Amino acid sequence: MKRILVENITDKMVLAKEVCGTSGSVLLGKGTVLTASMGHRLKNWGVLSVHVEGEDESPQQNGITGITPEEVRTALEAKFSRVMGSEIMKKIFAAVYKFKIQHNSR
Amino acid sequence: MKDPAAIRKTLENVSTIPTLPIVIEKITRLLQNPQTSAEDIGRAITTDQALASKVLKLVNSAFYGFPGRISTITHAVVILGFSTVKNVVLTASIFDAFSKRVSANTNFEMEKFWLHSIACGAAAQTLAKRIGHSAKEECFIAGLIHDIGKILMCNYLPAEFELVIQNRIKKDCLFYESEREMLGITHQELGGIIAERWNLPQALQSAVKNHHYLVQDKDFSTVSGIVHASDIFVRALDMGNGGDNKIPQMSEIVWNNLGFENIQMQQLLEDIESEVEKATVFMQLV
Repeated sequence: MKRILVENITDKMVLAKEVCGTSGSVLLGKGTVLTASMGHRLKNWGVLSVHVEGEDESPQQNGITGITPEEVRTALEAKFSRVMGSEIMKKIFAAVYKFKIQHNSR
Repeated sequence: MKDPAAIRKTLENVSTIPTLPIVIEKITRLLQNPQTSAEDIGRAITTDQALASKVLKLVNSAFYGFPGRISTITHAVVILGFSTVKNVVLTASIFDAFSKRVSANTNFEMEKFWLHSIACGAAAQTLAKRIGHSAKEECFIAGLIHDIGKILMCNYLPAEFELVIQNRIKKDCLFYESEREMLGITHQELGGIIAERWNLPQALQSAVKNHHYLVQDKDFSTVSGIVHASDIFVRALDMGNGGDNKIPQMSEIVWNNLGFENIQMQQLLEDIESEVEKATVFMQLV
């Protein structure tokens, strides 16, 4: 079994573990034969990586390095760049940042 | 800049803009009659078999949260109620009318667009529940269709749409800012044309026309306000993409009227995320 990023899914890969959403509901069952377009769809649904059958690879090879709080902040700052003068938007920024950090560490 | 009145006129004259199925009108009429039974509604919906099967798929999904299997439309009406079933039919019909997997414009990803719209609907429903607004299903539909003007533009005004997109990329601005600069009219007004043509309830029409609160002294409408805020949250949470990568300013009117100072934000974001996940069943209709 190996873990790969959804953008690296290619046709005929087989899921070695079911894909669950954050509330625990099963999106795709174990044994599902994947296609590249399913990978694209999983990404749109917010799934970052999946377990597929095959030999394990090093983290460098599978492309998973984890997202640091700094990276989360930088991405959010780019989105909020033009509205941070507003007190309301600062509050929303802080709440979303906190949420994303906690979510990442789960 | 193009002539906004001419753009509006072009769109108003397009005869191929999809219509909603007759069954919606039929159900609306049936619901006004106190004598109407669940069987009457069931019969009306099952005259359109394709629609009926979509409705059954949706009512059996986690989004509606009923633990058993609902096998007939009549059963769905009894379990979920008249108005929920009507809203499910309306939702399925909107997808039928508009959701094409392929975008006519390579810089506009249809699947991400629909994910943004569905997420906005689910977030609007969650927010409505949180503030105790009674029409939470209406809020879902309002969120779902708030950007319908973009689809109209993509399909029926491709040259104008391309201008807006190229300018949006160049300036890294909001989609509506680019629309105003290039066309002098936004997806809000264009979406309003179809919302009126479909004779949607006033609250839905208003959400399509005013969700960006560009006119600051506009009268506050709860459904539009809820959609305005939900759009901002789902953008911040990276759920889909409505055509740009920026966050619009939250209107102070909306923030104060919905009572955000007293809302526990982390819990709200948690709830939005879990509702959006359940709502991804709607992506299967795209």
